Amino acid sequence: MPLLSMTGVHKRYGGVRALDGASLSLEAGEVHGLLGPNGSGKSTLNKVLAGTVSPDAATIELDGQPITIGKPRDAAARGIAAVYQQLSLVDSLTVGRNLTLGVEPTRAGFVDNRASAAEIDEVLERLRPGLGPGVTATTEVSSLTPGQQQLVEIAKAVLRRPRILILDEATASLHRDQVQLLFEIIRELTAAGTCVVFVSHRLEEVMTICDRATILRTGRTVATLTIAETSESELVRTMVGDVAQAERRAELARTDDMVLRVRGLTAPGVSDVDLDVHRGEILGLGGLQGQGQSELLLALFGATPIRAGEIELNGRRVANTSVVKATGNGFALVPGDRGSQGLFMQRAIQENLSIVSLRRRLLAALGISMRRERGVAADAVQRLSIKIGGLDDPVTSLSGGNAQKVVIAKWLLNEPAVVLLDDPTKGVDISAKAEIYAIVRELADSGVAVILNSSDDVELAELCDRVIVLYEGRIRTQLVGDEITSDRLVAAALLIGEGDQGTVDETVAAAPDGSDR
Amino acid sequence: MTLGVDNRAASSRAVAWIRRVQVASVVTWGLLAAVVLVNAMVQPTFFTLYSITSTFATFVPLVFAAVAQAIVVIGGGLDLSIGTIVALSSVVALKVMNGSDALIGVGFLAALATGAACGLVNGLLTAVVRLQPLIVTFATASVFGGITLVVLPSPGGAVPPAMTQGFRLAFAGIPVPVWCVLVAVLIWLVLSRTKFLRHVYAVGGDAQAAYASLVPVVAVRILTFVTAGALAGLAAMGVLANTGSGDPFIGADVALDSIAAVVLGGIALRGGRGGAIGAIAGAIILALVTNVLFFLNVPTTFRELASGLVIIAALALSVLTTRKGVVR
Repeated sequence: MPLLSMTGVHKRYGGVRALDGASLSLEAGEVHGLLGPNGSGKSTLNKVLAGTVSPDAATIELDGQPITIGKPRDAAARGIAAVYQQLSLVDSLTVGRNLTLGVEPTRAGFVDNRASAAEIDEVLERLRPGLGPGVTATTEVSSLTPGQQQLVEIAKAVLRRPRILILDEATASLHRDQVQLLFEIIRELTAAGTCVVFVSHRLEEVMTICDRATILRTGRTVATLTIAETSESELVRTMVGDVAQAERRAELARTDDMVLRVRGLTAPGVSDVDLDVHRGEILGLGGLQGQGQSELLLALFGATPIRAGEIELNGRRVANTSVVKATGNGFALVPGDRGSQGLFMQRAIQENLSIVSLRRRLLAALGISMRRERGVAADAVQRLSIKIGGLDDPVTSLSGGNAQKVVIAKWLLNEPAVVLLDDPTKGVDISAKAEIYAIVRELADSGVAVILNSSDDVELAELCDRVIVLYEGRIRTQLVGDEITSDRLVAAALLIGEGDQGTVDETVAAAPDGSDR
Repeated sequence: MTLGVDNRAASSRAVAWIRRVQVASVVTWGLLAAVVLVNAMVQPTFFTLYSITSTFATFVPLVFAAVAQAIVVIGGGLDLSIGTIVALSSVVALKVMNGSDALIGVGFLAALATGAACGLVNGLLTAVVRLQPLIVTFATASVFGGITLVVLPSPGGAVPPAMTQGFRLAFAGIPVPVWCVLVAVLIWLVLSRTKFLRHVYAVGGDAQAAYASLVPVVAVRILTFVTAGALAGLAAMGVLANTGSGDPFIGADVALDSIAAVVLGGIALRGGRGGAIGAIAGAIILALVTNVLFFLNVPTTFRELASGLVIIAALALSVLTTRKGVVR
């Protein structure tokens, strides 16, 4: 009998099915990996288990007994603890107070410091090689490095003596030595009968530490494999499945007319990135989510400070030190989160369309001609076939797809030379997706250089002339033309070579000529 | 090599120690010492028992209000209604006691209950209805003030004589008002050892992280305001003992003064840091500034202006010295 089994887990977010009948079966004393491409639902499944997301439907059994998990408290009561990347530490408190937060031992309402001090010291001593010498129970968390904070976060979960410990990308901010330390601790825990659920974008770590792995694809569980009997290429094949080959956009006669040239760009979350984008080209940014794709777009758009590197537009060096300067230089960014970054949701469609390019149409640098604004807005609506009630309706009246088209339209009115798209079809239904694809293609055909970040590999394959795959903020691989397929994108994202045993370096070396490197 | 590591360890321990002691508290104690010194210079009788009794008697209410405000601010909120909670609690207690010495105990309970009930209203509106504490308490301040006027339309009424007389006595050689301040310190020291106050710090520091760590955030937020309200009830008893009669308008300055005391005490308005001992010191500083201006013979017309300027200077000093630590 498994320690815990989850079956028929369903969860929808609006029109998107995050989990569609996923299942998971855990044994005591094992390290269980959870694998899958972007959007396969591994995070959602973890959160259901930890009680931070309540599923639409699910059967969960612990020790063969059916249980329900509705909130984090339920999970904790069942001995389930989770460590996430977004830390649950309170910055302004000390390490010691954070470790016992929420489970302080008390006598008559008073915190019994002595009862927890020994335990805290023991766990800090165990983590000493990773924490370094200066960290004690009285150190304030805000003075720790991200890696140290992550270790404290792990210690906090371990101190709760869970039967099931979920580590969701818990190694992302750790150094190699700290990861080794974590692995030692994981082995001690599993030897004592704890089950550890392990999620990491570093496949190498999964292969090292996991006994078994469950693979998810589009919200369903496709297989549970024993790691020792499985090769990396088998893993990738299982993850990708038999995807119908995407219908690629007609090969463009590639011009040598370079619009955007970036060298050695280093910014928060991005290291040493080189890019060349030609007139009319669509360049894709691939890889696992959160590997620096959005950060790269923000840096190009001047929204985050560039620490090193240069940007050339049409052979002229530009300094995108602010969003206003970048816009003036002909850059446009269609952000990932429409609601908070792209639109004034409560304001009229008309105003949203006009706002960026208003400067261009001012009369004597001051006056706004309403008739002209309406004309321009109406043209944009027609050109992108945005389905609206009227120009004066608020953006909230639109569907996700049409709202996204308004974001694109407002930037097009500014006649940009470079358009940066950050996951533009996330949470958009299929028909609107197709229309947005058509708009992106049209943009490229009209001579604009397009950079598209997408968490959807099929989308990259369908739209892009070239895809660069990012890993931890750096370019790892470039795929050109017909090389852009779902399985190669997944393999590249997980740093797996062309052959079975390929290493990172070989993959980079195998990148075709004309690459940026 | 080893030496370097040891050095770094030692220096990071030192940094941690300084963080704990907090730069602001150095400023707070410095300001307190300065204002006491100046006061002693302009008022030669400052250290006599009589003078200490009457000086302390005036700021006992603000001390309790400052502890109340400190708890709310540490929990990430702000309470603009503390002043009218003090006023409402005082008039309710006044009516309940009805000038009778035998009913003083009941009066205390009435003041505590009234304050706690007001705090519960604030707490429910902020934690359950999820309105901004600033807006909620701005509105409830008017509501509580309005109720106060209904209970006692104009100043008057008699406080039990045992209360007013007892307030001027000394006990074991120490004036009763000084004991009251010590009680406020004691209440804080007891509270700060409770699980509840640990959770207040956590919620004020990062409510989401606290929630993820199984801290009952909503309950903690409600209880924060209830505790503050009860402390305001104690402040109300201090007001009655000091003035000897009821006044529905008594709390007008208390809310803002308590916030100033909290900032002077080195408590970050962002929440999660600081302690009420500092706020008590801040309250004493504020009261003594007024005292100093009085003995300096500053004309009444300018006293308000001068005390405002002194407060701004003190606030600027304490905030500017903490900011460095925050930016790092």
